[in-house]
Amino acid sequence: MDGKEFSTDRGRRDFMRKSMRLGSAALAGISGLAPGGGAWAAGSDAPEKKEVRIGFIPLTDCASVVMAAVNRFDEKYGIKIIATKEASWASVRDKLVNGELDAAHVLYGLIYGVQLGIGGPKKDMAVLMGLNHNGQAITLSNQLRDKGATDGASLARLVAKKEREYTFAQTFPTGTHAMWLYYWLAANGIDPMKDVKSITVPPPQMVANMRVGNMDGFCVGEPWGNRAIIDKIGFTAVTSQEIWTDHPEKVLGTTADFAQKHPNTARAMIAAILDAGRWIDASLANKQKTAETIAQKAYVNTDTEVIVARMLGRYENGLGKSWDDKNHMKFYNDGAVNFPYLSDGMWFLTQHRRWGLLKEDPDYAGVARKVNRIDLYQQGAAAAGVALPKSELRAARLIDGSVWDGRDPKKYAAGFKIKA
Amino acid sequence: MSVALDLNMSATKLKILVIDESRQRAGEICAGLALAGHQVLAVLANTDDLAGQVAQIRPDVILIDTESPSRDTLEHLATMERDMPRPVVIFAQASDPATIRRAIGAGVAAYVVDGLEPGRLEPVIDVAIARFESHQALKQELAEATQKLSDRKLIDRAKGLLMKTRGLDEEAAYAALRRLAMDRGQPLSAAAKDVIAVAKLLL
Repeated sequence: MDGKEFSTDRGRRDFMRKSMRLGSAALAGISGLAPGGGAWAAGSDAPEKKEVRIGFIPLTDCASVVMAAVNRFDEKYGIKIIATKEASWASVRDKLVNGELDAAHVLYGLIYGVQLGIGGPKKDMAVLMGLNHNGQAITLSNQLRDKGATDGASLARLVAKKEREYTFAQTFPTGTHAMWLYYWLAANGIDPMKDVKSITVPPPQMVANMRVGNMDGFCVGEPWGNRAIIDKIGFTAVTSQEIWTDHPEKVLGTTADFAQKHPNTARAMIAAILDAGRWIDASLANKQKTAETIAQKAYVNTDTEVIVARMLGRYENGLGKSWDDKNHMKFYNDGAVNFPYLSDGMWFLTQHRRWGLLKEDPDYAGVARKVNRIDLYQQGAAAAGVALPKSELRAARLIDGSVWDGRDPKKYAAGFKIKA
Repeated sequence: MSVALDLNMSATKLKILVIDESRQRAGEICAGLALAGHQVLAVLANTDDLAGQVAQIRPDVILIDTESPSRDTLEHLATMERDMPRPVVIFAQASDPATIRRAIGAGVAAYVVDGLEPGRLEPVIDVAIARFESHQALKQELAEATQKLSDRKLIDRAKGLLMKTRGLDEEAAYAALRRLAMDRGQPLSAAAKDVIAVAKLLL
């Protein structure tokens, strides 16, 4: 946690109390002692459902779900993961809700949106684990560059001139990219609800849409930001890790109902994907292999080189600047990526509230505690021998200088100068 | 069907937008909806500027393939704008769960403007499901026919190889192939595939 970890006394006490209740399996995880693989494969711990269909959208951050199946980490825990490619986030949501998918690689905010019924069906959902940190970006078109907009400040000056309407795309109204985009625009003094027009475009179609001039900027997960640069259509104005270093992003989501009926299967999925994330993060060779695998038509369907550069942290912004980014996309980072922090879940609620998607303040902590299945995660982590953090909350300073520590979400949500 | 009912239906005709990349299927849906007394305002295959089109056309109901990526654009309208279409196929209160499952199974999602009575929507969804299902059955038949054709080609090639290499006539070659398939508990086409693979290796 590198001292970034924020520990509140209360959080710590709750955490320890819960850990004690979970008994030896969780304690083995906390002390870093891994029980052997296949801990859940026998007796009453056997997975209730052995074949699990996990949906994914073609993005670099689907990698740990895919590699858990390809490298057969799933077999070690007595399950078989069938990774299913989906066409849209709406389809992922519907298939989760009606049970066609058992779980999915899904936007953090989408799960909370469904939990509260924002703009669509309402159903009790569950976040089993985080899948990745970082690795998304905001791309601006080369037309904007030619008008002098190369970063947030110069974009704000251009927008203020009101020469025309500017359109920005994200991937789902309650999702992470909408929140990164709105947050960054607002941090630069641009009101995303009033000063610009926002639209939703599915990730694999971002680049094509910008090419035909449908939008001036977009926020999406890699490899699509890098693809826009390689295709000479746009440039990276800001990476998501600059907005919030080690921000939460995709999660392994399912319904509360599935988690309740299949706790052993849920634990097995968590453990297998933890193994996969640990394997990906372990070496350059593994990342190269991962990029080659997910570049295939069945997964992301693009060139390996487009994926691998930013996976390794080799960034180039399309304006001539290149750098090694140590905060590149991470799938494991000693388990820091994967723990379903309550503060991460609550953050999305604060932003839904900020932008008027929620008309009233929800019971932030209550909702997050219900959705984020820390209990199941602890057990899955114990099976995979992954250490747990010491608090259910973590703190970070975001790009506008404000600090989010999860302690007073209502005040935090109301405290932004620009809001709906 | 009484005359009174028909009058009643035309008075409450729903304005429907169909988004479908399959022209043929879209045509079938339109025909079905027209028979049921509804008005199809537009059929869109190309979904560039979908938001603009929806704002302009102002449909009561949008029918779209569940696998269409454009659904996320509709989700945006549902979330951000109050009087815009909302997703309904999985709204428990809008329809019974069996209909919902059938709809998604058939591949149809519907978006309706908030406030539309569920009872008025049901016949529309029923029509769409029926048309999507019949289209799917056609596709399935086509796939099976193509499969059968390629199976026959495989069997013919394997037969030819056996005739050439073992000096059999056609009937004997077919019998040998069938025996092989039966011994191994395989379909004929799989046995044929193996014969071809082995022949490739040896010849």
